[in-house]
Amino acid sequence: MITQVSSSLYHQLTTVFDDGLAIKGDLEPLASLRRNAFARFQETGFPTLKDEDWKYTNLQPLLSKNYLLRDNLPGKSVSIEKAFIKGLNPYKLVLVNGHFRTDLSDVVDEQGVSIYSIEDIHQHKLSLRHFAQYADKTDNPLVALNTALHEGGLVIEIEKNITLRRSIQIIHVASSSETIFNQTRNLYLLGNNTKAEILESFITDDIGLSLNNTVSEVVLEENAHLQHYYLQTANSQSSYLNHTEIHQKKHSLYNNYNCTFPGSAFIRNNINVRLDDSAVESHLYGITLTAEDQLVDNHTIVDHRKPHCESYEWYKNITQNTSTAVFNGKIFVREDAQKTNAFQQNNNMLIGEKSTIFSKPQLEIFADDVKCSHGCTMGQFDDDALFYLRARGISEEKARVLLVHAFAFDVTEKFSSEPIREYVDHLIEEGLIIEQ
Amino acid sequence: MSTKDDNILTELAVEEYKYGFTTDIEMDIAKKGLSEDTVRFISAKKSEPEWLLEWRLKALKHFEKMSMPQWQNFKHPKVDFQDISYYAAPKEKPKVNSIDEVDPELLETFAKLGIPLDEQKILAGVVAVDAVFDSVSVKTTFREKLKEVGVIFCSFGEAVREYPELVKKYLGTVVPQTDNLYAALNAAVFSDGSFVYIPKGVNCPMELSTYFRINAQNTGQFERTLIVADEGSYVSYLEGCTAPMRDENQLHAAVVELIALDNAEIKYSTVQNWYPGDKNGIGGIYNFVTKRGICRGDNSKISWTQVETGSSITWKYPSVILKGDNSIGEFYSVALTRNHQIADTGSKMFHIGKNTRSKIVSKGISAGVSQNSYRGLVQIGKGAEKARNFTQCDSLLIGDRCGAHTFPYIEAKNKTAKLEHEATTSKIGEDQIFYLNQRGIDSEKAVELIVNGYAKEVLNQLPMEFAVEAQKLLAISLEGSVG
Repeated sequence: MITQVSSSLYHQLTTVFDDGLAIKGDLEPLASLRRNAFARFQETGFPTLKDEDWKYTNLQPLLSKNYLLRDNLPGKSVSIEKAFIKGLNPYKLVLVNGHFRTDLSDVVDEQGVSIYSIEDIHQHKLSLRHFAQYADKTDNPLVALNTALHEGGLVIEIEKNITLRRSIQIIHVASSSETIFNQTRNLYLLGNNTKAEILESFITDDIGLSLNNTVSEVVLEENAHLQHYYLQTANSQSSYLNHTEIHQKKHSLYNNYNCTFPGSAFIRNNINVRLDDSAVESHLYGITLTAEDQLVDNHTIVDHRKPHCESYEWYKNITQNTSTAVFNGKIFVREDAQKTNAFQQNNNMLIGEKSTIFSKPQLEIFADDVKCSHGCTMGQFDDDALFYLRARGISEEKARVLLVHAFAFDVTEKFSSEPIREYVDHLIEEGLIIEQ
Repeated sequence: MSTKDDNILTELAVEEYKYGFTTDIEMDIAKKGLSEDTVRFISAKKSEPEWLLEWRLKALKHFEKMSMPQWQNFKHPKVDFQDISYYAAPKEKPKVNSIDEVDPELLETFAKLGIPLDEQKILAGVVAVDAVFDSVSVKTTFREKLKEVGVIFCSFGEAVREYPELVKKYLGTVVPQTDNLYAALNAAVFSDGSFVYIPKGVNCPMELSTYFRINAQNTGQFERTLIVADEGSYVSYLEGCTAPMRDENQLHAAVVELIALDNAEIKYSTVQNWYPGDKNGIGGIYNFVTKRGICRGDNSKISWTQVETGSSITWKYPSVILKGDNSIGEFYSVALTRNHQIADTGSKMFHIGKNTRSKIVSKGISAGVSQNSYRGLVQIGKGAEKARNFTQCDSLLIGDRCGAHTFPYIEAKNKTAKLEHEATTSKIGEDQIFYLNQRGIDSEKAVELIVNGYAKEVLNQLPMEFAVEAQKLLAISLEGSVG
């Protein structure tokens, strides 16, 4: 299934793998995990438009480039100011092309929290037990590729009964003067009765093109609470393939806020939540503002496997210029998952003359005593609302900004942190192109 | 569940499908197998012109090149295309001119089905019927009366002989031979069907109706319906289907093409009650049908209404291509599945013209261990200024082992488009049943009442005679599903 176009990166990767470079000195079970994963990747190759999950998202142009598969300048200095959020003082952890840079990062001096580079995972029994146990069960070939050839990434382990005093901000910097392919791997483990807030900012710093294939696995043990933000502000030189797999235990709560702004040329987010115990709650919020030629594709899966769980999903897209937004939300309610409440909503504002929106809100239900609903709308500026504001002396430009803010408010009001809401509101305003 | 209930259920499995009889009639059945010879045989049997044979052969070539689709939400059953007989017809007798000359066995069959073929006996005379028996049209009623206003309503075979230009002009323009595997198969081997042409400005004076009946064993039914509504005309068309109970699965792969020109309106209603198989999922019809209409002219309208209770697998997406400006497409559906039935159905609306509007209302009901999927596509093209769509797909679950799924695809490329989609899934509330119980209505009747209320929005779209039948059908199909 390997087409001519994708052969260049595909062959490059095969060569790297066959040379044994990836496995290096890896101990078991990591070495066999990598080997098995690469075999799985080779079976399918890169996904094409013929795959249902990639129907609207063409990877081929990205695969025809000649990539540098390893950072040739580790340790170089980068600027991270772009990711700073006014009014928020988190522990900043900096990853440059996936590599954890302790020299640029804050020290997290909280009891019961250990943070280390994924390269050191073989020294940690607990993390090793969870590593590659969740995301690899999906059939995403990019996850298999990441498991096989990942380099760099972060592990956060929070011991039970710990509540983090400050939030953690992970700043992912893509920085290279050449065309680079990064494969970062993260693992976040939250023990029983823990509470944490993790922000992940994606920024770029340098002129080279980058393709970032990131996989994160998140495990929430009983009664763990996690607020998880994605703040995507990278520039048009960068492309992202993010896969996040969340595994939840009893009474846990997971909130994901996925915010994407004009910049990065190509973004594909897979966010999968497995509610694998009773009384679990998950919330997925998304706000996407696109411009120019951007393509932003958000795929989510909410998988209800056990009874008495609740999920709530709300994604909003605003497309400008010639950009494209894709939303695919799947909700599964398995046979066992009686008394499930699942809600999903996708609203779109199509502003750009030549922009496109593809939406596929999907429900698959195998249990009868459930309440599930989904809704999807597409529209644009409401002329009546615009007129109302204009009649009150508000300029057209200002009125449009107001209306977009109002549209986004359903999602931004759900944010757990005030400074982040202000930060996002500001980015929306900045990203809006108002035609005079 | 008590043994008494079990007994009732067992009885119902035998009783419930009351159209499961077979008719012993002399049949002309082609040898099993599919090849160029089969196609030539059918074409020769129908004494078809050369162009149609060519058209069929082209379709066969495409069919042979195509592979089975994989995207559907069920495991595609193995269909051995060489193990099917592609032609079955009541033995040719001299052409009949009056009702007395039709085989009495056949008349009896249709009488059992409640299809009055005998024109004289119909007092009301509001429905003209084209009865299709094992994919050959047996009798079309009220032809003369329709001819007076210029409406052509006849079997496909006759249409090819008598109105070749019309058929040639429109055949395959909405569903081309290459459209999909089953459409290609149908194009190659279709044996008959109905043809309707409504001339300019004519409001068809009565409901037109086709009744499909599969009778012979090991045959597939492949009929083709073509309806053309010329400028400013209106027609309402009904389709009903039944088949005998057999242990093997039979294939029904029909194609329906609707064409509405300027200001024309076509209303197409289906009450599908093919044999659904027994309660263990053995036997039943595979209903793989391609239905598509095109609003070719400005201000035209096409409306699909379907009540699907039969077939072991129903797989179809009646669609409308909204090409003309201000054209309207509608789709109303109730799909009820139980036991081991599978339904993967929905609609597609392609908005091409300006100010086009579409509405989809789909109500799925699943019981037993059945799987019911809604799959739909709403596509707004670049030039479809001010297009508007509303979609609602609701699912009702009865029992804890059935499934209800929705797969809506929404694609918008125009910034003036307005779309709404909503879906809900729920079960029949115990409080609702309790409320009705309190008022002396037993649980089974209560469920019937609730389901009919749930499906009302769709049933209301059916012509009156059909609505009554559809309501009864839902009631019969639901019997025994409450434990």
